[in-house]
Amino acid sequence: MTAITATAGTPGTAPSGFARILRVVRLNLANPWTTVIMPWIVLGAIFVLSYGIWILVFLSVEPGGEAEAREGMQWSGASMWIFVYLLVVAVQTMNLTFPLALGYGSTRRDFYLGSAATFVVLSVMWALGLTILSAIESATDGWGIGGRMFTTIFFGGDSPVWQRLVICLCISLFFFFVGAAVASVYVRWRVLGMIVFFFLLGLALIGALALIFAVDGWPAVGDFFVTNQAFGVSLWMLVPTAVAGLAGYLMIRGATPR
Amino acid sequence: MSPVVEVRDLRKSFGKVRAVDGVSFTLEADRIYGLLGRNGAGKTTLMSLLTAQEFATSGTIELFGQSPVENARVLEQTAFIKENQKYPEDFRVKHLFRSAPWFFANWNAELAGSLAEDFRLPLDRRMKKLSRGQLSAAGVIVGLASRAPLTFFDEPYLGLDAVARQLFYDRLLADYAEHPRTIVLSTHLIDEVSTLLEHVILIDEGRILIDSDAEDLRGSAITVAGTASAVDDFTRNREVLHRDRLGGLATATLPALDAAGRKDAAAAGLELSPVSLQQLIVRTTTSGEDPS
Repeated sequence: MTAITATAGTPGTAPSGFARILRVVRLNLANPWTTVIMPWIVLGAIFVLSYGIWILVFLSVEPGGEAEAREGMQWSGASMWIFVYLLVVAVQTMNLTFPLALGYGSTRRDFYLGSAATFVVLSVMWALGLTILSAIESATDGWGIGGRMFTTIFFGGDSPVWQRLVICLCISLFFFFVGAAVASVYVRWRVLGMIVFFFLLGLALIGALALIFAVDGWPAVGDFFVTNQAFGVSLWMLVPTAVAGLAGYLMIRGATPR
Repeated sequence: MSPVVEVRDLRKSFGKVRAVDGVSFTLEADRIYGLLGRNGAGKTTLMSLLTAQEFATSGTIELFGQSPVENARVLEQTAFIKENQKYPEDFRVKHLFRSAPWFFANWNAELAGSLAEDFRLPLDRRMKKLSRGQLSAAGVIVGLASRAPLTFFDEPYLGLDAVARQLFYDRLLADYAEHPRTIVLSTHLIDEVSTLLEHVILIDEGRILIDSDAEDLRGSAITVAGTASAVDDFTRNREVLHRDRLGGLATATLPALDAAGRKDAAAAGLELSPVSLQQLIVRTTTSGEDPS
């Protein structure tokens, strides 16, 4: 007979807080195919397609129209889906991995902190990867033919490479933590929570638009984006990201898996 | 020795529904408990409360002497894979067996591997493509191989065929004999697991109807059978739990008889037979309703 660690009346021991959080990170990455590998493959496929389109574009532009075509490239949204994918990963983490973590005997706190750490790790991975690609894109003048996928306006265009890194990092964090917070509303309050949340969100958006119209604030809004550029805007995104991160934590602490 | 689980006046309401309605009990270390009850009786809710997956409306729960709510030291000792457990998107069986050891200090990979073989569980298949029986098998394997000091099995036999169910019971008993721990098994297949259970807690509509040693419970009632008139005579001044009549023959289930009662029954030409746990529980949970 071998005794199993805890005896009655003593709660036994648990691994250190760090180890408990780390294993949630590992749980989130236990199937790397979905969280890490697949989006890179899709990105590769989109790059190949985009490359074909760039060739078609530059073959078809009239002589002298090439500059205009290059200008237009910087508005490409070919990479923006990645951030939607990150949002979906965050939603599934809260909705599906949460119940399993609790079944494994994890606390809500450890689950959330571990998932937050996962989001940071994945954001750093995406920021590094996308920045390296954008540096190559700059260095090769658009992969040799003037194409743009990673140096678009949204990624800071031709700003310094370190700024592009920060921009990508901020955008990734934003989508992860906002996705996690919205999913937490669902995990905590289910469909009713979603209805109330989107109602209030709609109300807030309409309110904000009304306010901007009322004070004739559109030039100021435009100025904000022009003055701050992608870099400044991405830093400002850290504010809603932090709010979402905290809100997600507070909601998950009281959530029950179904 | 202080109990592993101590519950006092526990209540849990979902809106107007009282899923758990004033429940008190204790679970001792290193025993196998059967948590019995009909569908919707509150079994899963009760286990969710014990593992702090649900929050109690009122009352207290102590595991190893402490509240389990957000208590890593306590929850570390528990394993609870729900009957309708959700798994991460695209999770495969192999991911389950890869990640579980990170959370269970006593995890035995060898046991998990041999169980997966015995249950013929395809390791490479996605969790959401598994049949009901395979899902149950996956949960059973995590529960057994975790060797958690307090392990919950939530209707572990759902969808399992007779061979697989027997396999589960055999492997549970064998591993339990070598590695004693506290096991709570919710079920409504009572007779099948009755030899496994050392203690029975029966809940119905959120309340505990029976909290008894399984052996005592089996001895707590008896069935007499004979001609209808003999059975009627015999039961006239006795408490009857249940009666059946077929033509001129009748049976009646009574609380356990003393020696004199047995003698009387024999003298009246009645046959005595033990009541199965299942019959007893069916009688108890339907006692409020008139079966005729």
